[in-house]
Amino acid sequence: MKNGKKIVLSIVALCIAIVSQAQVAGDSIVLVGHLCGDPTVRSKMFAIGPAKILDTYLSAEQYSGIELRYVSQSVKPIRQGSWLQIVTHQGSFCSVSNRADNHNELVGMYQFQYAQHYVLRPSEQLRFEVGGAIGAHLGFLYNTLGGNNPVQVQAAIQLRPSAAASYVFPLFKRQSVVRYEVSAPLVGLMFSPNYGQSYYEIFGRGNYDRNIVPTTIASTPSLSHLLSLDFPISKKNPRTKLRIGYLGDYRQAKVNNLKYHHYSHLLVVGWTKSF
Amino acid sequence: MKKLSFILYILLFSIALTSCVDEEQYDNTPQGNFEALWKILDEHYCFFDYKKAEYGLDWNEVYRRYQPQFRGSMTRTQQFEVLANMLSELRDGHVNLYSAFDVGRNWSWHENFPANYSDTLIRKYLGTDYRIAAGMQYRILDDNIGYLRSTTFSNELGEGNLDEIFYYLAPCRGLILDLRNNSGGLVTSAEQLAARFTNEERLVGYMQHKTGRGHNDFSAMEEQRLKPSNGIRWQKKVVVLTNRSVFSAANEFVKYMKCCPQVIVVGDRTGGGAGLPFTSEIPCGWTVRFSACPMYDRDRNSTEFGIAPDHAVALKDDDVVNGYDTLIEYARKEISR
Repeated sequence: MKNGKKIVLSIVALCIAIVSQAQVAGDSIVLVGHLCGDPTVRSKMFAIGPAKILDTYLSAEQYSGIELRYVSQSVKPIRQGSWLQIVTHQGSFCSVSNRADNHNELVGMYQFQYAQHYVLRPSEQLRFEVGGAIGAHLGFLYNTLGGNNPVQVQAAIQLRPSAAASYVFPLFKRQSVVRYEVSAPLVGLMFSPNYGQSYYEIFGRGNYDRNIVPTTIASTPSLSHLLSLDFPISKKNPRTKLRIGYLGDYRQAKVNNLKYHHYSHLLVVGWTKSF
Repeated sequence: MKKLSFILYILLFSIALTSCVDEEQYDNTPQGNFEALWKILDEHYCFFDYKKAEYGLDWNEVYRRYQPQFRGSMTRTQQFEVLANMLSELRDGHVNLYSAFDVGRNWSWHENFPANYSDTLIRKYLGTDYRIAAGMQYRILDDNIGYLRSTTFSNELGEGNLDEIFYYLAPCRGLILDLRNNSGGLVTSAEQLAARFTNEERLVGYMQHKTGRGHNDFSAMEEQRLKPSNGIRWQKKVVVLTNRSVFSAANEFVKYMKCCPQVIVVGDRTGGGAGLPFTSEIPCGWTVRFSACPMYDRDRNSTEFGIAPDHAVALKDDDVVNGYDTLIEYARKEISR
């Protein structure tokens, strides 16, 4: 456990060092984020799309179905605009079924992410962001097979390097924004029963056995990215934009000899408001 | 340094995007369903080493014997029959295959033995004015001995209900707790009832779980401790009646009671079932249940094949003809001694 703490602290220090180095002005990069007066942007999005879930603690079969998600995001300039603070809340619900279509799994999940991005602005229209985030999620996965292993609690906290890019351009004579953001967990902690351990043994008898597991990108190779287009609906109110996009959330874990994946491919529709 | 940062980020996101965590998905064919079922048991079943020692079970040999039987032309009924036959090799009442039309099972652990139970006789002893609480039937027999019939542990027991039962039976000289044909249910309910028969915390057994796919990948043995109930606790003699159909959580109950004072177990060996079962499924959607977490008695012996009684007593035909339940009458004599 002591060696694990040292490794985590070293990686955190490395992340901070990487971000700090981005502050060095280069020949071709103009750090003028704070001069451009980026507004605060708040977004509300609804997403729907197919999901595929595998959790070998519950079943050897992969389940497929549909996912609904609500995303609320706030992007706010800080430190005279040279940084952005990004706070994201997500609530999702999935209903998936097995190949034989005689058993279902239900998923409920809340995700939170707090990120800070350093802004790099090579031109007026183009903006790059690079930084890191703390992410956490809490939810459940319930399988109608029943028995003594019908449900999985999903809880994790992670440090996630993240990046984004956005480009402002005229579309049908209206200033629109295409944005791409991506993050992936680097290190963290997650809850997991051991391979064949029942929840009765963990919570009923208090027998702990590697149930809070340190994770790395090797054990949780996951990625979340959002590609969106913001388009003003009304010329009179350019600060309110319609957002459409694609949200890809690929969560995976391989801990305690158990395998898990949850792949979401979601169509996003929402709106953004600038302040 | 900027280039290095850029490369590290790209590397990180590439690793995340290209690493796949997946499990082989077998085809929904007779061969695919066989492979999936054999593998689920191979990686999750918890009694391979124990049963190899007990009767020479070799799961790889079972694979070699059954694999040639699966052909693409099999009907679903044929598939089910052969898969269920394969599961029967485990001789485990906790191993079942569930389809929409049948349940594959091995019940030889009680079907091959006398029942030592007669519903007609039990109705004679209970009469019609027995009480019902916490899903159990109880009355005071005419020699002031309490009789408590527990047929299942499937339901949670209300602590208040148990208080009422033991308060009513408190004037009795002793208690007959008839567990025959109780096929189990919730281990927590078995603990709840057993907690009424001890005044102090007791070591009653051990349990383990699998930590990997290997046949002997297990955790350390964790103690099972029975804590006394805060409600009314029985302080007099108890005779627990058992037969071969006492299984799973009821088997656990007998294990707990054997650690409690003033308890005698009378009847036949219990049916066993010491593996807490998990479930999974195969490509065609049939569910499989299997023993996943082994449990042991306080001496670290497996109770998978049952617990021997303190007094082996069988139901005699002559007694049945004369309207007597041999086990109940034996219990009454033990309490009266």
